[in-house]
Amino acid sequence: MIVNSETLSDVKPPVTVKGTRDGLLFLLDEQADMDHLCEYLHSLLFGETASIFDGPVIEVVVDYGKRALTHEEAWRILGQFQARDNFLIKAWGGGTDARQSMFQRKTSARAQHIYHGLVRSGQPLMFDGDVVIIGDVNPSGHVQATGDIYVFGRLLGIAHAGMHGDTTAIIAAAEFAPMQLRIADVISRAPQLKATMEYAYLVDNQMMVAEMKQFMTWNKVRRRHTNQERR
Amino acid sequence: MGSVIVVTSGKGGVGKTTTTANMSTALALLGKKVCIVDADIGLRNLDVVMGLENRIIYDIVDVANGDCRLEQALIRDKRFEHLTLLPAAQTKDKRALTEAKMVDLVGQLKVNYDYVVIDCPAGIEEGFKVAVAPADSAIVVTTPENTAVRDADRVIGLLERDKVGDPRLIVNRIRPDMVKRGEMLDIDEIVQMLGCDLLGVVPDDEAVIRNANRGEPIVVQPNTPASLAYRNIARRILGESVPLMQLEEKSGLWGRVRKLIGGR
Repeated sequence: MIVNSETLSDVKPPVTVKGTRDGLLFLLDEQADMDHLCEYLHSLLFGETASIFDGPVIEVVVDYGKRALTHEEAWRILGQFQARDNFLIKAWGGGTDARQSMFQRKTSARAQHIYHGLVRSGQPLMFDGDVVIIGDVNPSGHVQATGDIYVFGRLLGIAHAGMHGDTTAIIAAAEFAPMQLRIADVISRAPQLKATMEYAYLVDNQMMVAEMKQFMTWNKVRRRHTNQERR
Repeated sequence: MGSVIVVTSGKGGVGKTTTTANMSTALALLGKKVCIVDADIGLRNLDVVMGLENRIIYDIVDVANGDCRLEQALIRDKRFEHLTLLPAAQTKDKRALTEAKMVDLVGQLKVNYDYVVIDCPAGIEEGFKVAVAPADSAIVVTTPENTAVRDADRVIGLLERDKVGDPRLIVNRIRPDMVKRGEMLDIDEIVQMLGCDLLGVVPDDEAVIRNANRGEPIVVQPNTPASLAYRNIARRILGESVPLMQLEEKSGLWGRVRKLIGGR
């Protein structure tokens, strides 16, 4: 649930309300004028549309960003939240966990691309995020992505996954016979295998290649791992 | 209004000029009015292959510079009434021939001919751009070698970027015996990799070299395999559907005898 205060005012609102799994997150604009902020907050919590916050007791996180608050200012804001009977203030601060988890999720949600067609020699393609190539990557064809690369065809050229240093990125292809593989900073010449459906990944900066049927289990571990890091 | 076809390859020496000469002659023999334009300025060859070298007075750069009229530079081939050549310059500054001039010039030719065939220089630099600029469609020539296929791939990419119609492929100088032994890329592999339509396959044939040296296109000799291949290509350009010719040598009595004596 996202209650965007834009409906209440035309200019960029000084308060943004986000619904999280645990309750409500109030993000206070760190640039906005203090009086304006308080007025806005008052109308938000007690004005005409305030009834949307009515209901059972709800946990509330208030995050004021990098703003330096004096003692009085802090009470002025906090007092308004306390004045609402059904708000239980769970956290109050400048960089609450709720805010961080929200922004982190945003940056980690990678863009996904689908590219239809042949990647020909001398035709470098670059993608921000993960990419699925539906077609072949010809010898000397070059695909780069900040995330994973999946080739739904023959990979005969050069693939560079995790180009900004993501060592968890992988390269997979239906027919895996690349000229050169790069994941993050690790470069490897392709193993001369039988060109089946395979994928390449890194373990301690060492390029590994495995058959695609192992990918699902491996990917589960990877997901768990990256989630842990995020926490 | 005619159609403009550019014959290109990227790599040099794969047979662009020979293909241009023979394909155009075959089209002319089928009754089409054809003008061949040699865009390989500085290293002109087309007139040599066609045996028209001694008749050049003006060339394409003269036309571009306005030193002569277009009609003055055109050479009519006396052997084939429908065939005309616009020769390239040997020594003049090729920068005079810009993309815009080329488009204008070919635009004038288009009105009077069914097909304008442009022989493109090797490489992908300025000369390539000039030759490709007026084209409605492209024919990419390659040989069954890794280097040639790689360059063809690159050129097809550039043609697609420039939106020059669907490039069609001619695989030149194929040697059926080597393909059979797995020592040469086979045609399916090349076509699959390049991802474009196959217009024709021309077998490696000594007669091609012999005739080129004599200044006579191979298509005038009806019985060699290469001649047949070029005629088939011309018919496919006209929209006929002609099956690919059987390249494998007939293993008749003679074939078996030859094998016994150690020939191919």
